[in-house]
Amino acid sequence: MVEAFAVASGKGGTGKTTSTLALGMALAADHDVTVIDADTGMANLLFHAGLDDVEVTLHDLLVEETGTRVDEAVYDRFGMSVVPCGTSLAAFEAADPGRLRDVVADLAADTDVVLLDSPAALGSKSAVLPVVLADRVVVVLQPTIPSLSDGLKVQEYAQSYGTETAGVLFNKVHDDERIDRVADQAERYFGGETLTTVPDSDVVRAARRAGEPLLAHAPDSVAAASYREAAAAIDVRDGDEDDVAARFRSAVVPETP
Amino acid sequence: MRLPEGDLVRSRVVSDPGAALSAALDRRLTGYAVFRPQDTLLLGGDRRAVLTFEGGVPVLAYDGATDRGGAEALGDLAVPGPYKVELYELSSDALSDAHDTPELRVSPEMPAEELAADSELAERTRVLAPDDREEQSQNDKSALEAFLDDEEKIAAIREQAREEAEQRAEEWGFDDALDR
Repeated sequence: MVEAFAVASGKGGTGKTTSTLALGMALAADHDVTVIDADTGMANLLFHAGLDDVEVTLHDLLVEETGTRVDEAVYDRFGMSVVPCGTSLAAFEAADPGRLRDVVADLAADTDVVLLDSPAALGSKSAVLPVVLADRVVVVLQPTIPSLSDGLKVQEYAQSYGTETAGVLFNKVHDDERIDRVADQAERYFGGETLTTVPDSDVVRAARRAGEPLLAHAPDSVAAASYREAAAAIDVRDGDEDDVAARFRSAVVPETP
Repeated sequence: MRLPEGDLVRSRVVSDPGAALSAALDRRLTGYAVFRPQDTLLLGGDRRAVLTFEGGVPVLAYDGATDRGGAEALGDLAVPGPYKVELYELSSDALSDAHDTPELRVSPEMPAEELAADSELAERTRVLAPDDREEQSQNDKSALEAFLDDEEKIAAIREQAREEAEQRAEEWGFDDALDR
């Protein structure tokens, strides 16, 4: 069984990467989880997962004829398989984003849950590709007008490409009373339920500085508990891995820009 | 709400309202800003809202089309697209009548936080705000709630995004995904 989720936000700064790794660790309690940094132009998952000194990354898999095997870019960390992406601009330019589908197809054959940390943008083919490939999207929102309106846009893009909404997650929440009203209002427009609301807290920033996912750095924090609640609210579906892999391989992917 | 006309000091089209708030803060503007969303389709016609400032810090907001003030006025006006923003200088005295309208007032950091989603700008604004402005922020209604209340506008934003996604699918060769 396998299901692929794109963790997306439309707008940067919502804590998407923190959320991807936190959801990944929480889901890893019951599932085999593979987290892929699909934000190939603005990669930062490696910093959050203490992988900033590794040699082989997704970039090597996206460049033709490097001869890199997929498993060379997979790192077992924090109970998950993590595929970081490098930060070199030259590597980004040489990378063929279309090859992402083959990489994801390979990885999907051997895991229960694929989480794609997706670019915070909708302006290019490579930015939208993870949302096209995924079965469902988790939309990470901040309780602000630009974040909500961008989140709505991401959802419309996803729906246009046949990708459903698994749920929305409100991050960096300051005001507990108000967020319940906002979440109720937002649920009318988003396809999935509100998975959780995560308070803004210093512990999240400390985890990032330490290069550790939140659930490893501060497992007993309120924010960590919120992410476990979100993971519990996601009912992972039993996609047939051959079907999923075939879908990724056959997905119509644009030429390199 | 009526304001005497001020002196125009800046006029720009900005993709992000935060740029105008930041400019007002940097020049310690006492006066007002007029926000005009450029995407008139989303709001069903020409719209504008006024946000006043005292020493660069937002004081009150008003949307003439909905006749609502405060945070709700900013939520009513908010759209994803660009805005034309004009900044006008006006003396404190000329603003004082309008500023004596509690129901139109906003907390100092609210426009930066909710309209611009810029927490750094919100913090800079909070630091500059006089101490007697703090209590007020406790009772604020939310611009975000007003924004989400407007079902027609949200439907228009979604419709526009859907059309954009489908158009780009063709450009990008994702057509098959559309039929999945």
